[in-house]
Amino acid sequence: MSVAMSIEAINEQLLRAIGVGVAVLGAEDRRFVFRNETFHEWFDEETPQSDLGGLFPDLDIADLMTRLQESGRLTIEIKRKARRREKIYAADFTLSEGNGGGMIILVCQNISRIRELESMIDSYSQMVERNTREIKREKEQVEKLLLNMMPRSVYEEFKTFGVVIPKLYDPVSVLMLDFVGFTQMAASADPAVTVSELNDIYSAFDRIGEQYGCERIKTMGDAYITVAGLPDPTPDHARAVANAAIRFIRYLERRNEGHPNQWRCRIGITSGPVVGSVVGIQKYVYDIFGPAVNLASRLQDLSESMEITTNGPIYDVLRDSFRFEYRGKQQVRGFDEQDIFQLMDSREPIR
Amino acid sequence: MAKQTLFEKYGGFSAVSKIVLDFYDVLLDSDEIGPFFDDVDMPRLIDHQTKFIASLLGGPASYTDEQLKRLHERLNLKDSHFDEVLATLGDTLKRHGFSAGDLALVNAALEQRRSVIVCRDVH
Repeated sequence: MSVAMSIEAINEQLLRAIGVGVAVLGAEDRRFVFRNETFHEWFDEETPQSDLGGLFPDLDIADLMTRLQESGRLTIEIKRKARRREKIYAADFTLSEGNGGGMIILVCQNISRIRELESMIDSYSQMVERNTREIKREKEQVEKLLLNMMPRSVYEEFKTFGVVIPKLYDPVSVLMLDFVGFTQMAASADPAVTVSELNDIYSAFDRIGEQYGCERIKTMGDAYITVAGLPDPTPDHARAVANAAIRFIRYLERRNEGHPNQWRCRIGITSGPVVGSVVGIQKYVYDIFGPAVNLASRLQDLSESMEITTNGPIYDVLRDSFRFEYRGKQQVRGFDEQDIFQLMDSREPIR
Repeated sequence: MAKQTLFEKYGGFSAVSKIVLDFYDVLLDSDEIGPFFDDVDMPRLIDHQTKFIASLLGGPASYTDEQLKRLHERLNLKDSHFDEVLATLGDTLKRHGFSAGDLALVNAALEQRRSVIVCRDVH
């Protein structure tokens, strides 16, 4: 008997000391039979109450009892404001049918810190997720910009390896275009207007070229260079640039009809090998080099306003499907004497 | 390579989370500052503190002066309140091992914002 008592005493000591709020109530009247110090400190210090309803006025006692009777056990969350600080407790009710009538054992744990940490993790993950979205958006913008400067397959290579190996493409067809009297135009007209119009025209050229399978390489002032057969080889490269060249001129003719500023171009097209690569370490530019590029540039120089000048390689491939006019043998700087042709628009000119 | 932020230097979120909770405790207990938080519920307050400390240390949050002004204009804060927060934060960061140089940096960054936080109309 004395041993049992001492164990009981030890138990009571324990219950008083631990950092868990413990209370025992009568199941009928919900009056407190026992409260440990922690419980007292948390809930009961300022205005001691003798029963559960008095201590937690917000609690729906009837509902609590129904649920407790059903399952014998119930955990709820209790919030208390102590000196402006919100405290959150997990309150665990257990119904115990003893010999002296039913008892409720109430065990409370302070879970404020857990809730605070959860709130902080929420807050932090929101920040991080928003940042991640922003980074993703930025990345897409950079990607879009880079794709403007180089073909997609070259960009993929650049992204994977950090470098682009110069690659020979043979054969491809190159189209070179410049504007007649651009220098005077830029000097005499409002430069902002000139640049904005040039931008419109280049954008139209890009769309037209894309439609025929041309890849715009670069623009430099009034010079526009596009190429077909690169980076993916295509047997139709000559046809692609010829079609694009004819549409470029048609586009300008139609545009000039409705605009005060007259844009007149010269075009040279030819076929041959080029090397494509990203040049520059800090400022990447995808560019092409090689005889076909130089020759297209010379042919463009030979062009009159709104004309497309070309040579043998294009003529040989397209003679059956396009109209050409022979312009005789001509000396081209840096190359052998060439048969020069003018590519004609087979449609009647728009008037 | 980008310069390391204080947020990274002092151990990222796992370390900063302890600073946030510590600062939260001290502020709530402060008789000067605490009353401003009387009617703010816990998740919102924690959210504020997390973002505040993160942005202060160069973590994944930042406030524009305009946002800070809007957040504080109704509180009618005085210089003394601002000083109290500055001192409290300084103590907290010191407890978490911030060097004197880094404390000065944080202090200077906060000082720059004094004029948008403290209410200038009423004295």
